[in-house]
Amino acid sequence: MSTQDSRSILFTHTRPQEGFRLLELTPELEALLTSKDAPALELKSPSTALAQAVVDPTAHDYVNLCTPTQTYRIRQVQSSNSLHILRPSRGEISQADIKVVEDEAGESGALNLPDEAVTALAKCSSTLELHIPPGGFSAVPFLEKSLRLYDRRSDDDGDIAMGGSADSTGPLGSKEMRTARENLCQDIPVSTAQCEQGWMELCAFVDGAEEMACWRPSARSRLAVWKRLVEGAVLQNIDLEKQFLVGDLWKSVLDDDEEMEPPFPRALLEAVVRRICIADERPPLTDDIKWASFDKLECTKWVGETYLAANAPTTSSAIGRSDFLHAWKDCLPETWRGEAALSKLPNGCYNSPDPTTIYFVEPAQRQPTNKTASAPATAAKNKNTRNWHELLKGRR
Amino acid sequence: MPSIKLHPHCSTPVKATATDTTPNNPLPALLQTPSGLALLELQGTINVPSGNEEEDDIDYSSSTDNPASTFETPIGKLMFPDYSVHNPDDTKWMKRAYMYVGRYQRMTGEVKKLPRPIAVLQKRQASEGEELEVVEIVRYKIFFKSRPEPVTNV
Repeated sequence: MSTQDSRSILFTHTRPQEGFRLLELTPELEALLTSKDAPALELKSPSTALAQAVVDPTAHDYVNLCTPTQTYRIRQVQSSNSLHILRPSRGEISQADIKVVEDEAGESGALNLPDEAVTALAKCSSTLELHIPPGGFSAVPFLEKSLRLYDRRSDDDGDIAMGGSADSTGPLGSKEMRTARENLCQDIPVSTAQCEQGWMELCAFVDGAEEMACWRPSARSRLAVWKRLVEGAVLQNIDLEKQFLVGDLWKSVLDDDEEMEPPFPRALLEAVVRRICIADERPPLTDDIKWASFDKLECTKWVGETYLAANAPTTSSAIGRSDFLHAWKDCLPETWRGEAALSKLPNGCYNSPDPTTIYFVEPAQRQPTNKTASAPATAAKNKNTRNWHELLKGRR
Repeated sequence: MPSIKLHPHCSTPVKATATDTTPNNPLPALLQTPSGLALLELQGTINVPSGNEEEDDIDYSSSTDNPASTFETPIGKLMFPDYSVHNPDDTKWMKRAYMYVGRYQRMTGEVKKLPRPIAVLQKRQASEGEELEVVEIVRYKIFFKSRPEPVTNV
Protein backbone atom coordinates (compact mmCIF):
# COMPACT_ATOMS: atom_id res chain seq x y z
CA MET A 1 0.00 0.00 0.00
CA SER A 2 1.25 3.43 -0.85
CA THR A 3 1.47 5.89 1.97
CA GLN A 4 1.12 8.79 -0.45
CA ASP A 5 -2.12 10.00 -1.85
CA SER A 6 -0.54 11.43 -4.96
CA ARG A 7 -0.41 9.34 -8.07
CA SER A 8 2.59 7.27 -8.73
CA ILE A 9 3.75 6.81 -12.25
CA LEU A 10 5.33 3.59 -13.33
CA PHE A 11 8.79 4.18 -14.71
CA THR A 12 10.21 1.77 -17.27
CA HIS A 13 13.16 1.37 -19.54
CA THR A 14 12.55 0.73 -23.23
CA ARG A 15 14.64 -1.53 -25.35
CA PRO A 16 15.85 -0.99 -27.98
CA GLN A 17 16.82 2.52 -27.04
CA GLU A 18 16.50 5.30 -29.59
CA GLY A 19 19.13 7.76 -30.70
CA PHE A 20 18.73 11.41 -29.80
CA ARG A 21 21.04 14.36 -29.39
CA LEU A 22 20.40 17.25 -27.05
CA LEU A 23 21.16 20.76 -28.20
CA GLU A 24 21.12 23.63 -25.77
CA LEU A 25 19.43 26.61 -27.37
CA THR A 26 20.30 30.26 -27.09
CA PRO A 27 17.35 32.63 -26.65
CA GLU A 28 17.66 33.81 -30.26
CA LEU A 29 17.73 30.28 -31.55
CA GLU A 30 14.74 29.32 -29.45
CA ALA A 31 12.79 32.25 -30.84
CA LEU A 32 13.81 31.28 -34.36
CA LEU A 33 12.87 27.62 -34.00
CA THR A 34 9.53 28.34 -32.41
CA SER A 35 8.60 31.05 -34.91
CA LYS A 36 5.88 30.36 -37.39
CA ASP A 37 8.06 29.98 -40.45
CA ALA A 38 11.08 28.50 -38.79
CA PRO A 39 13.85 28.10 -41.36
CA ALA A 40 15.92 24.95 -41.73
CA LEU A 41 19.30 25.31 -40.08
CA GLU A 42 22.57 23.90 -41.29
CA LEU A 43 25.43 22.09 -39.67
CA LYS A 44 28.50 23.12 -41.60
CA SER A 45 32.13 22.22 -41.45
CA PRO A 46 34.82 23.39 -43.86
CA SER A 47 35.97 21.19 -46.72
CA THR A 48 39.18 19.34 -45.97
CA ALA A 49 41.20 21.71 -48.15
CA LEU A 50 39.70 24.78 -46.53
CA ALA A 51 40.20 23.40 -43.04
CA GLN A 52 43.91 23.09 -43.81
CA ALA A 53 44.12 26.51 -45.39
CA VAL A 54 42.21 28.40 -42.71
CA VAL A 55 43.42 26.98 -39.44
CA ASP A 56 41.33 27.67 -36.43
CA PRO A 57 43.72 27.73 -33.47
CA THR A 58 40.97 26.80 -31.04
CA ALA A 59 39.72 23.65 -32.72
CA HIS A 60 40.92 20.95 -35.09
CA ASP A 61 37.66 19.52 -36.22
CA TYR A 62 34.59 21.54 -35.72
CA VAL A 63 31.02 21.85 -36.78
CA ASN A 64 29.19 25.14 -36.88
CA LEU A 65 25.47 25.56 -36.57
CA CYS A 66 24.26 28.15 -39.03
CA THR A 67 20.96 29.96 -39.06
CA PRO A 68 20.32 32.11 -42.13
CA THR A 69 22.14 35.00 -40.46
CA GLN A 70 24.11 33.70 -37.51
CA THR A 71 26.84 31.16 -36.84
CA TYR A 72 27.52 29.22 -33.66
CA ARG A 73 30.34 26.86 -32.82
CA ILE A 74 29.04 23.55 -31.48
CA ARG A 75 30.78 22.16 -28.43
CA GLN A 76 30.00 18.74 -27.06
CA VAL A 77 29.87 18.85 -23.29
CA GLN A 78 30.14 15.56 -21.43
CA SER A 79 28.32 15.17 -18.17
CA SER A 80 28.82 12.64 -15.42
CA ASN A 81 25.09 12.67 -14.92
CA SER A 82 22.96 10.84 -17.41
CA LEU A 83 20.06 12.52 -19.13
CA HIS A 84 17.22 10.22 -20.02
CA ILE A 85 14.54 11.06 -22.49
CA LEU A 86 11.10 10.00 -21.31
CA ARG A 87 7.88 9.39 -23.14
CA PRO A 88 4.50 8.15 -21.98
CA SER A 89 4.54 4.41 -22.15
CA ARG A 90 2.68 2.63 -24.88
CA GLY A 91 2.05 -0.23 -22.58
CA GLU A 92 4.45 -2.85 -23.86
CA ILE A 93 5.17 -3.90 -20.31
CA SER A 94 5.06 -7.41 -19.19
CA GLN A 95 2.54 -7.50 -16.39
CA ALA A 96 4.59 -10.15 -14.71
CA ASP A 97 7.52 -7.76 -14.43
CA ILE A 98 5.51 -5.18 -12.55
CA LYS A 99 6.02 -7.29 -9.46
CA VAL A 100 9.48 -5.78 -9.32
CA VAL A 101 8.04 -2.47 -8.28
CA GLU A 102 4.66 -3.25 -6.80
CA ASP A 103 3.56 -6.50 -5.34
CA GLU A 104 -0.04 -5.58 -4.83
CA ALA A 105 -0.58 -3.80 -8.07
CA GLY A 106 -3.88 -5.42 -8.77
CA GLU A 107 -5.31 -4.69 -5.39
CA SER A 108 -4.26 -1.09 -4.79
CA GLY A 109 -5.38 -0.15 -8.28
CA ALA A 110 -2.92 2.70 -8.20
CA LEU A 111 -0.35 1.34 -10.50
CA ASN A 112 -1.28 -1.44 -12.79
CA LEU A 113 -2.57 0.75 -15.57
CA PRO A 114 -0.26 0.97 -18.58
CA ASP A 115 -1.40 4.51 -19.30
CA GLU A 116 0.06 5.58 -16.00
CA ALA A 117 3.59 4.87 -17.08
CA VAL A 118 6.50 6.73 -18.61
CA THR A 119 9.41 5.04 -20.23
CA ALA A 120 13.04 6.00 -20.75
CA LEU A 121 13.62 5.95 -24.49
CA ALA A 122 17.17 7.14 -24.73
CA LYS A 123 20.13 8.14 -22.69
CA CYS A 124 22.42 11.04 -23.48
CA SER A 125 25.68 11.51 -21.65
CA SER A 126 26.53 14.72 -23.40
CA THR A 127 24.78 17.81 -24.62
CA LEU A 128 25.70 20.10 -27.48
CA GLU A 129 26.32 23.67 -26.43
CA LEU A 130 26.63 26.66 -28.68
CA HIS A 131 28.95 29.56 -28.42
CA ILE A 132 30.26 32.44 -30.48
CA PRO A 133 33.97 33.08 -30.04
CA PRO A 134 35.05 36.66 -29.32
CA GLY A 135 35.29 38.47 -32.62
CA GLY A 136 32.54 36.32 -34.12
CA PHE A 137 32.67 34.48 -37.39
CA SER A 138 33.69 35.83 -40.74
CA ALA A 139 33.59 34.28 -44.16
CA VAL A 140 36.47 36.47 -45.36
CA PRO A 141 39.40 34.15 -44.52
CA PHE A 142 37.61 31.26 -46.20
CA LEU A 143 36.64 33.30 -49.22
CA GLU A 144 40.20 34.55 -49.61
CA LYS A 145 41.34 30.94 -49.91
CA SER A 146 38.59 29.68 -52.15
CA LEU A 147 38.17 32.59 -54.57
CA ARG A 148 40.60 33.03 -57.41
CA LEU A 149 42.63 36.20 -57.37
CA TYR A 150 41.74 38.59 -60.15
CA ASP A 151 44.71 40.81 -60.85
CA ARG A 152 44.54 42.18 -64.36
CA ARG A 153 45.28 45.77 -64.82
CA SER A 154 42.96 47.40 -67.25
CA ASP A 155 45.07 50.54 -67.27
CA ASP A 156 48.04 48.61 -68.61
CA ASP A 157 48.87 49.26 -72.21
CA GLY A 158 49.42 45.70 -73.22
CA ASP A 159 47.87 42.47 -72.34
CA ILE A 160 44.30 42.90 -71.45
CA ALA A 161 44.09 39.27 -70.69
CA MET A 162 40.41 38.67 -70.88
CA GLY A 163 40.51 36.39 -73.87
CA GLY A 164 37.16 36.29 -75.57
CA SER A 165 35.78 38.70 -73.06
CA ALA A 166 33.67 40.39 -75.71
CA ASP A 167 30.89 38.17 -74.54
CA SER A 168 31.96 38.04 -70.93
CA THR A 169 29.34 40.57 -69.98
CA GLY A 170 26.54 38.80 -71.72
CA PRO A 171 26.34 35.08 -71.25
CA LEU A 172 26.22 34.76 -67.49
CA GLY A 173 22.76 35.29 -66.16
CA SER A 174 22.28 36.36 -62.58
CA LYS A 175 20.92 32.92 -61.90
CA GLU A 176 24.14 31.21 -62.97
CA MET A 177 26.18 33.66 -60.96
CA ARG A 178 24.05 32.95 -57.97
CA THR A 179 24.46 29.21 -58.35
CA ALA A 180 28.22 29.56 -58.65
CA ARG A 181 28.32 31.69 -55.53
CA GLU A 182 26.09 29.38 -53.55
CA ASN A 183 28.13 26.34 -54.53
CA LEU A 184 31.25 28.04 -53.30
CA CYS A 185 29.59 29.05 -50.02
CA GLN A 186 28.51 25.46 -49.34
CA ASP A 187 31.99 24.69 -48.07
CA ILE A 188 32.33 27.80 -45.98
CA PRO A 189 31.27 27.04 -42.43
CA VAL A 190 29.40 30.24 -41.67
CA SER A 191 25.86 31.42 -42.25
CA THR A 192 24.61 32.51 -45.65
CA ALA A 193 24.29 36.12 -44.53
CA GLN A 194 27.88 36.15 -43.28
CA CYS A 195 29.07 34.53 -46.52
CA GLU A 196 27.29 37.22 -48.49
CA GLN A 197 28.69 39.94 -46.27
CA GLY A 198 32.24 38.64 -46.84
CA TRP A 199 31.59 38.25 -50.54
CA MET A 200 30.42 41.83 -50.74
CA GLU A 201 33.33 43.20 -48.67
CA LEU A 202 35.85 41.54 -50.95
CA CYS A 203 34.04 42.76 -54.09
CA ALA A 204 33.95 39.14 -55.20
CA PHE A 205 32.31 38.38 -58.53
CA VAL A 206 31.55 35.56 -60.91
CA ASP A 207 32.94 35.60 -64.40
CA GLY A 208 32.58 33.07 -67.12
CA ALA A 209 34.86 34.47 -69.82
CA GLU A 210 37.46 31.71 -69.78
CA GLU A 211 35.78 29.33 -67.47
CA MET A 212 33.13 29.83 -64.90
CA ALA A 213 34.89 30.97 -61.75
CA CYS A 214 34.45 33.08 -58.66
CA TRP A 215 37.03 35.81 -58.30
CA ARG A 216 38.23 38.29 -55.77
CA PRO A 217 39.87 41.33 -57.28
CA SER A 218 43.28 42.38 -55.97
CA ALA A 219 43.54 45.80 -54.38
CA ARG A 220 45.22 46.97 -57.58
CA SER A 221 42.29 45.79 -59.69
CA ARG A 222 39.78 47.37 -57.36
CA LEU A 223 41.63 50.64 -57.49
CA ALA A 224 41.76 50.45 -61.28
CA VAL A 225 38.00 49.95 -61.40
CA TRP A 226 37.50 52.91 -59.12
CA LYS A 227 39.75 55.22 -61.15
CA ARG A 228 38.03 54.19 -64.34
CA LEU A 229 34.57 54.74 -62.95
CA VAL A 230 35.47 58.18 -61.65
CA GLU A 231 36.83 59.11 -65.08
CA GLY A 232 33.72 57.77 -66.73
CA ALA A 233 31.42 59.56 -64.30
CA VAL A 234 33.20 62.86 -64.92
CA LEU A 235 33.03 62.44 -68.69
CA GLN A 236 29.37 61.48 -68.67
CA ASN A 237 28.47 63.98 -66.00
CA ILE A 238 27.20 61.38 -63.53
CA ASP A 239 26.90 62.72 -60.00
CA LEU A 240 28.11 59.84 -57.84
CA GLU A 241 26.53 61.29 -54.71
CA LYS A 242 23.08 61.24 -56.24
CA GLN A 243 21.28 58.17 -57.47
CA PHE A 244 22.56 56.97 -60.80
CA LEU A 245 21.87 53.98 -63.00
CA VAL A 246 24.63 51.42 -62.72
CA GLY A 247 24.03 50.66 -66.39
CA ASP A 248 24.91 54.27 -67.24
CA LEU A 249 28.07 54.03 -65.20
CA TRP A 250 29.02 50.84 -67.04
CA LYS A 251 28.53 52.57 -70.39
CA SER A 252 30.67 55.44 -69.20
CA VAL A 253 33.64 53.19 -68.46
CA LEU A 254 33.49 51.55 -71.87
CA ASP A 255 35.52 53.05 -74.64
CA ASP A 256 33.67 54.90 -77.33
CA ASP A 257 34.99 52.43 -79.80
CA GLU A 258 32.45 49.63 -79.67
CA GLU A 259 34.99 47.15 -80.93
CA MET A 260 37.18 47.54 -77.90
CA GLU A 261 36.96 44.97 -75.23
CA PRO A 262 35.62 46.18 -71.90
CA PRO A 263 38.40 47.08 -69.47
CA PHE A 264 37.05 44.59 -66.93
CA PRO A 265 33.95 42.43 -66.54
CA ARG A 266 30.75 44.22 -65.78
CA ALA A 267 30.27 41.96 -62.77
CA LEU A 268 33.43 43.44 -61.26
CA LEU A 269 32.16 46.98 -61.66
CA GLU A 270 28.90 45.96 -60.06
CA ALA A 271 30.74 44.29 -57.19
CA VAL A 272 32.74 47.44 -56.52
CA VAL A 273 29.66 49.65 -56.77
CA ARG A 274 27.85 47.35 -54.40
CA ARG A 275 30.73 47.51 -51.94
CA ILE A 276 30.93 51.29 -51.77
CA CYS A 277 27.34 52.34 -52.32
CA ILE A 278 25.28 53.65 -49.43
CA ALA A 279 24.59 50.62 -47.26
CA ASP A 280 20.90 51.31 -46.75
CA GLU A 281 20.33 51.32 -50.49
CA ARG A 282 22.30 48.16 -51.15
CA PRO A 283 20.05 45.49 -52.66
CA PRO A 284 20.36 41.91 -51.46
CA LEU A 285 23.09 39.96 -53.21
CA THR A 286 20.49 37.88 -55.00
CA ASP A 287 19.19 40.99 -56.78
CA ASP A 288 20.98 42.93 -59.47
CA ILE A 289 22.21 46.32 -58.46
CA LYS A 290 20.40 48.76 -60.72
CA TRP A 291 20.60 52.04 -58.84
CA ALA A 292 23.27 53.27 -56.53
CA SER A 293 24.66 56.38 -54.95
CA PHE A 294 27.87 56.86 -53.04
CA ASP A 295 28.56 58.39 -49.69
CA LYS A 296 31.50 60.76 -49.95
CA LEU A 297 32.99 59.81 -46.57
CA GLU A 298 32.64 56.05 -46.89
CA CYS A 299 33.93 56.08 -50.41
CA THR A 300 36.93 58.20 -49.55
CA LYS A 301 37.79 55.85 -46.73
CA TRP A 302 37.55 52.81 -48.98
CA VAL A 303 39.63 54.41 -51.71
CA GLY A 304 42.37 55.38 -49.23
CA GLU A 305 42.52 51.90 -47.78
CA THR A 306 42.47 50.29 -51.20
CA TYR A 307 45.20 52.58 -52.50
CA LEU A 308 47.37 51.71 -49.55
CA ALA A 309 46.71 47.99 -49.96
CA ALA A 310 47.60 48.22 -53.64
CA ASN A 311 50.74 50.32 -53.30
CA ALA A 312 52.19 49.66 -49.86
CA PRO A 313 51.07 46.20 -48.82
CA THR A 314 54.03 45.44 -46.53
CA THR A 315 56.51 47.14 -44.22
CA SER A 316 59.24 46.94 -46.82
CA SER A 317 57.10 48.66 -49.42
CA ALA A 318 56.07 51.51 -47.13
CA ILE A 319 55.51 54.78 -48.95
CA GLY A 320 55.85 58.39 -47.87
CA ARG A 321 52.86 59.79 -46.08
CA SER A 322 52.60 62.95 -48.11
CA ASP A 323 52.99 61.00 -51.35
CA PHE A 324 50.20 58.75 -50.19
CA LEU A 325 47.92 61.67 -49.35
CA HIS A 326 48.56 63.25 -52.73
CA ALA A 327 47.90 60.02 -54.60
CA TRP A 328 44.79 59.39 -52.54
CA LYS A 329 43.44 62.84 -53.40
CA ASP A 330 44.23 62.25 -57.05
CA CYS A 331 42.04 59.16 -57.01
CA LEU A 332 39.04 61.12 -55.80
CA PRO A 333 36.59 63.27 -57.74
CA GLU A 334 37.68 66.92 -57.70
CA THR A 335 35.14 68.01 -55.10
CA TRP A 336 36.05 65.22 -52.66
CA ARG A 337 39.74 66.00 -52.45
CA GLY A 338 39.37 67.75 -49.12
CA GLU A 339 38.08 64.57 -47.50
CA ALA A 340 41.35 62.66 -47.67
CA ALA A 341 43.13 62.62 -44.32
CA LEU A 342 44.92 59.95 -42.34
CA SER A 343 42.36 60.21 -39.57
CA LYS A 344 39.67 59.15 -42.03
CA LEU A 345 41.25 55.76 -42.66
CA PRO A 346 39.60 52.79 -40.97
CA ASN A 347 40.97 51.95 -37.54
CA GLY A 348 44.22 50.02 -37.58
CA CYS A 349 44.41 49.69 -41.35
CA TYR A 350 47.85 51.28 -41.52
CA ASN A 351 51.09 51.31 -39.64
CA SER A 352 54.09 53.58 -39.76
CA PRO A 353 57.62 52.23 -39.54
CA ASP A 354 58.80 55.82 -39.09
CA PRO A 355 57.02 59.18 -38.85
CA THR A 356 57.13 59.90 -42.56
CA THR A 357 56.08 56.60 -44.10
CA ILE A 358 53.05 54.42 -44.04
CA TYR A 359 52.04 50.93 -45.08
CA PHE A 360 48.94 48.75 -45.15
CA VAL A 361 48.03 46.26 -42.45
CA GLU A 362 46.04 43.20 -43.50
CA PRO A 363 42.72 42.94 -41.67
CA ALA A 364 43.80 39.66 -40.08
CA GLN A 365 46.95 41.27 -38.61
CA ARG A 366 45.28 44.32 -37.16
CA GLN A 367 45.42 44.98 -33.47
CA PRO A 368 42.08 44.19 -31.99
CA THR A 369 40.24 47.37 -31.23
CA ASN A 370 39.12 48.05 -27.70
CA LYS A 371 35.76 46.58 -28.42
CA THR A 372 36.95 43.12 -29.36
CA ALA A 373 39.67 43.11 -26.73
CA SER A 374 37.17 43.49 -23.93
CA ALA A 375 34.82 40.95 -25.45
CA PRO A 376 36.43 37.83 -23.94
CA ALA A 377 36.20 39.32 -20.47
CA THR A 378 32.51 40.01 -20.76
CA ALA A 379 31.96 36.67 -22.42
CA ALA A 380 33.59 34.95 -19.47
CA LYS A 381 31.45 36.91 -17.09
CA ASN A 382 28.29 35.98 -18.89
CA LYS A 383 29.27 32.39 -19.17
CA ASN A 384 26.98 30.22 -17.19
CA THR A 385 28.70 28.82 -14.18
CA ARG A 386 27.99 25.19 -14.85
CA ASN A 387 31.09 24.58 -16.86
CA TRP A 388 33.80 24.60 -14.24
CA HIS A 389 36.57 23.92 -16.75
CA GLU A 390 35.90 27.33 -18.20
CA LEU A 391 35.60 28.93 -14.79
CA LEU A 392 38.94 27.63 -13.64
CA LYS A 393 40.60 28.56 -16.89
CA GLY A 394 39.46 32.13 -16.40
CA ARG A 395 40.95 32.33 -12.94
CA ARG A 396 44.37 31.11 -13.81
CA MET B 1 32.21 18.47 -46.51
CA PRO B 2 28.58 18.83 -47.33
CA SER B 3 26.39 20.62 -44.90
CA ILE B 4 23.77 18.75 -42.93
CA LYS B 5 20.29 20.17 -42.74
CA LEU B 6 18.63 20.58 -39.40
CA HIS B 7 14.90 20.88 -39.85
CA PRO B 8 12.95 22.89 -37.31
CA HIS B 9 10.08 20.43 -37.20
CA CYS B 10 9.59 16.73 -37.15
CA SER B 11 8.65 15.24 -40.52
CA THR B 12 6.56 12.58 -38.86
CA PRO B 13 5.08 14.04 -35.71
CA VAL B 14 5.02 11.47 -32.96
CA LYS B 15 1.33 11.98 -32.56
CA ALA B 16 0.51 11.31 -36.16
CA THR B 17 2.20 7.93 -36.19
CA ALA B 18 0.25 6.76 -33.21
CA THR B 19 -3.02 8.58 -33.35
CA ASP B 20 -4.97 5.66 -32.02
CA THR B 21 -2.57 4.65 -29.36
CA THR B 22 -1.26 7.96 -28.07
CA PRO B 23 -1.05 7.19 -24.41
CA ASN B 24 -2.17 9.58 -21.73
CA ASN B 25 0.67 11.61 -20.39
CA PRO B 26 0.74 10.97 -16.65
CA LEU B 27 3.35 13.65 -15.95
CA PRO B 28 2.42 17.00 -14.41
CA ALA B 29 1.16 19.42 -17.06
CA LEU B 30 4.28 21.56 -16.79
CA LEU B 31 6.41 18.66 -17.96
CA GLN B 32 4.19 17.70 -20.83
CA THR B 33 5.25 18.58 -24.34
CA PRO B 34 3.41 18.16 -27.64
CA SER B 35 5.45 15.11 -28.55
CA GLY B 36 5.30 13.74 -25.01
CA LEU B 37 9.06 13.81 -24.57
CA ALA B 38 10.47 14.88 -21.22
CA LEU B 39 13.92 14.97 -19.64
CA LEU B 40 15.09 13.16 -16.56
CA GLU B 41 18.57 13.72 -15.17
CA LEU B 42 20.16 11.25 -12.82
CA GLN B 43 23.41 11.23 -10.99
CA GLY B 44 24.65 7.89 -12.14
CA THR B 45 22.92 5.74 -14.63
CA ILE B 46 20.26 3.14 -15.05
CA ASN B 47 21.72 -0.30 -15.47
CA VAL B 48 19.54 -2.77 -17.20
CA PRO B 49 20.65 -6.25 -18.06
CA SER B 50 22.25 -6.22 -21.48
CA GLY B 51 20.33 -7.58 -24.41
CA ASN B 52 22.36 -10.74 -24.61
CA GLU B 53 21.40 -11.94 -21.21
CA GLU B 54 17.78 -11.44 -21.90
CA GLU B 55 17.69 -13.11 -25.22
CA ASP B 56 16.67 -16.37 -23.67
CA ASP B 57 13.64 -14.81 -22.12
CA ILE B 58 12.23 -13.25 -25.23
CA ASP B 59 9.52 -15.08 -27.01
CA TYR B 60 10.91 -14.97 -30.52
CA SER B 61 7.88 -16.50 -32.12
CA SER B 62 5.96 -13.30 -31.65
CA SER B 63 8.58 -10.60 -31.82
CA THR B 64 11.12 -11.38 -34.52
CA ASP B 65 8.76 -10.71 -37.38
CA ASN B 66 8.12 -7.19 -36.22
CA PRO B 67 11.25 -5.09 -36.33
CA ALA B 68 9.54 -2.28 -34.46
CA SER B 69 8.95 -4.54 -31.53
CA THR B 70 10.02 -2.93 -28.32
CA PHE B 71 9.66 -3.98 -24.77
CA GLU B 72 9.81 -2.15 -21.50
CA THR B 73 11.50 -3.18 -18.32
CA PRO B 74 9.92 -1.72 -15.18
CA ILE B 75 12.42 0.11 -13.04
CA GLY B 76 10.39 1.86 -10.41
CA LYS B 77 8.00 4.70 -9.92
CA LEU B 78 7.99 8.44 -10.22
CA MET B 79 6.02 10.56 -7.81
CA PHE B 80 5.36 14.24 -7.47
CA PRO B 81 3.96 14.21 -3.94
CA ASP B 82 2.90 17.85 -3.81
CA TYR B 83 1.42 18.07 -7.25
CA SER B 84 -2.26 18.53 -7.63
CA VAL B 85 -4.07 18.53 -10.95
CA HIS B 86 -6.55 20.96 -9.46
CA ASN B 87 -3.98 23.63 -8.88
CA PRO B 88 -1.64 23.49 -11.84
CA ASP B 89 -0.44 27.10 -11.54
CA ASP B 90 1.06 26.60 -8.13
CA THR B 91 4.65 25.58 -8.73
CA LYS B 92 5.68 24.68 -5.17
CA TRP B 93 5.27 21.01 -6.03
CA MET B 94 8.35 21.29 -8.23
CA LYS B 95 10.55 21.28 -5.14
CA ARG B 96 9.93 17.61 -4.48
CA ALA B 97 9.96 14.55 -6.66
CA TYR B 98 10.57 10.94 -5.78
CA MET B 99 11.88 8.13 -7.82
CA TYR B 100 11.54 4.65 -6.43
CA VAL B 101 13.96 2.14 -7.77
CA GLY B 102 12.52 -1.27 -7.30
CA ARG B 103 10.48 -1.35 -4.15
CA TYR B 104 12.90 -0.48 -1.44
CA GLN B 105 15.01 2.40 -2.67
CA ARG B 106 14.04 5.98 -3.22
CA MET B 107 15.71 9.04 -4.67
CA THR B 108 14.62 12.54 -3.82
CA GLY B 109 14.84 15.19 -6.45
CA GLU B 110 13.04 18.12 -7.92
CA VAL B 111 11.69 19.57 -11.14
CA LYS B 112 13.86 22.34 -12.50
CA LYS B 113 13.44 24.86 -15.24
CA LEU B 114 16.37 24.49 -17.60
CA PRO B 115 18.65 27.53 -17.70
CA ARG B 116 18.39 27.28 -21.45
CA PRO B 117 15.82 25.24 -23.33
CA ILE B 118 17.09 22.06 -24.90
CA ALA B 119 16.19 20.90 -28.38
CA VAL B 120 15.86 17.16 -28.77
CA LEU B 121 17.32 16.21 -32.14
CA GLN B 122 16.87 13.07 -34.10
CA LYS B 123 17.96 11.72 -37.44
CA ARG B 124 15.24 12.38 -39.92
CA GLN B 125 13.72 9.14 -41.00
CA ALA B 126 13.25 8.33 -44.66
CA SER B 127 15.65 11.00 -45.82
CA GLU B 128 18.24 10.25 -48.44
CA GLY B 129 21.32 11.82 -46.96
CA GLU B 130 21.94 12.61 -43.38
CA GLU B 131 19.42 15.07 -42.09
CA LEU B 132 18.44 16.02 -38.58
CA GLU B 133 15.27 17.41 -37.15
CA VAL B 134 14.13 19.03 -33.96
CA VAL B 135 11.65 16.66 -32.37
CA GLU B 136 10.88 18.78 -29.37
CA ILE B 137 12.04 21.75 -27.36
CA VAL B 138 12.11 20.91 -23.67
CA ARG B 139 12.15 23.56 -20.96
CA TYR B 140 12.05 21.57 -17.72
CA LYS B 141 13.78 18.54 -16.36
CA ILE B 142 13.19 16.13 -13.53
CA PHE B 143 16.45 16.13 -11.65
CA PHE B 144 17.71 13.57 -9.11
CA LYS B 145 21.08 14.51 -7.79
CA SER B 146 21.16 12.38 -4.65
CA ARG B 147 21.82 8.71 -4.16
CA PRO B 148 18.97 6.31 -3.51
CA GLU B 149 18.05 5.82 0.14
CA PRO B 150 16.46 2.69 1.51
CA VAL B 151 12.78 2.88 2.29
CA THR B 152 10.43 0.35 3.75
CA ASN B 153 7.09 2.04 3.53
CA VAL B 154 6.04 1.04 0.04
